[in-house]
Amino acid sequence: MLEKKEIEKAILRILNDQFEISNPGMDDDLREKHKFDSIDGIELLAEVEELLGFEINQEVKKEALEIRTVRQIVDWVEKVQSEHS
Amino acid sequence: MERRVVITGASAITPIGATPQNIWDSLLHGRSGVKSIKDDPLLGKHLRSRVFGTVTDELVYDFERHYRKTMGPVSYYACQVAKKALEQAGLEEKFVNSGKMGVAFGSTHGSPSVQRSIYEKFFKGGDNKLKGIGGADYLKSMVHTTAANVARMFGITGRIISSCTACTTSAQSIGYGFESVKFGMQDAMLCGGADEYDTTTVAVFDNLLACSTSFNDTPEKTPRPFDTKRDGLVVAEGAGAVVLEEFEHAKARGAVILGEVLGFACGNNGDSLIMPDAVGIERTIRAGLLSAGIGPEQVDLVTAHATGTKLGDATEAMATAAIYGKKPWVIGLKGYMGHSMGSCGVIETICSLMMMEHSTVVPTLNLENIDPRCDGIKHPMEIVNTEIKTAAVQNFAFGGVNTCLLLQGPD
Repeated sequence: MLEKKEIEKAILRILNDQFEISNPGMDDDLREKHKFDSIDGIELLAEVEELLGFEINQEVKKEALEIRTVRQIVDWVEKVQSEHS
Repeated sequence: MERRVVITGASAITPIGATPQNIWDSLLHGRSGVKSIKDDPLLGKHLRSRVFGTVTDELVYDFERHYRKTMGPVSYYACQVAKKALEQAGLEEKFVNSGKMGVAFGSTHGSPSVQRSIYEKFFKGGDNKLKGIGGADYLKSMVHTTAANVARMFGITGRIISSCTACTTSAQSIGYGFESVKFGMQDAMLCGGADEYDTTTVAVFDNLLACSTSFNDTPEKTPRPFDTKRDGLVVAEGAGAVVLEEFEHAKARGAVILGEVLGFACGNNGDSLIMPDAVGIERTIRAGLLSAGIGPEQVDLVTAHATGTKLGDATEAMATAAIYGKKPWVIGLKGYMGHSMGSCGVIETICSLMMMEHSTVVPTLNLENIDPRCDGIKHPMEIVNTEIKTAAVQNFAFGGVNTCLLLQGPD
């Protein structure tokens, strides 16, 4: 199980390395401020599956498409991890 | 409504250079862009043809990720030439984004390298065959990926046309762009084509015994348009773009006019999907001349499709001779760079504009001994300095498609 801080660190690393989004604010609207669109969302979900080490159900993934901020991503990943365990 | 259509921007990435100066130097000095084929773990050991028209200029992948993420290599090429052509044209961003400008851009089959990576995941087994396929992979690989990415990157909001007729792709792009402007549907069109490094295309032609195989150790000696020793085509990569603009619009803003598209025709043989057809070619050339409103005696230069195949070159030479006789110079530019498939029409258009600008016809590279079946036309065997007012660009494709563009040089 990853701690919330570890999840946050990992998400920020992925955003930097894979999406060229450096040091985003936790409450930045990623779509508005960093042009992060639904294609990026699909790519990020694949990275999150790698991070967690299990496949996420399609219905659960659909919930994530409404997410707009890093804080919401971290909260969602923590919830998915917790429900899986 | 019929309007004049001029060319105000042009850019190409080719095996013989990626700047106008480098391309022209290669043409003047007889430099070939054909190299030994690169290693390919999937097809390498099966290919009999070991040559490829290879782009050696390093491409700068300097687009923001926001744009890059939907581009395979073919769209990088397309956006690079589109960027330079737009810069040269100097159109205001407001006009480009106004809906008065459209895009006509294509490739043979999108991005084969991205398609290959997708199919590798499908065929390699495992429980989840969709895992690992990126959210943008379809957008990178789809057949209209070049047109879509060019439109998005530059915010072009007019009509979008994406021909995918193999070797006539970019000739059609220019032709349909020309018609869009001529008949008042758009005031400008960004037109072109691109194809990336791809060995599956080599495999297709190799399998049909259409590829050159006798010069694997001397790549620069092939292809050999119209030559007695020609033994097939050489697949190549490349891209080209031209900005077409309504004449009065270009004149009013003081744009530099590189040339004019006088006419265009596209026809189908209505028969074999593979065999060249002299009757179909002649019909298309005549329709092109009619579209341009000129007679064959007014054409000074014909840039032939001339891929270097035995039958294709002979058929084209006979059809061309039937229309033009030995009046215009007829050049086969693929001797320099191979056959860049979806981009050959636009690259050959740009090279024709260069020859008009410099009043110079360069020789057909590797043409040493003219095949008697190709002797009904006038071949440049060395550099010829002569005024070229009007040029024709001929391209033909699998599927029985023939195109003919008629161009006029700058005043």
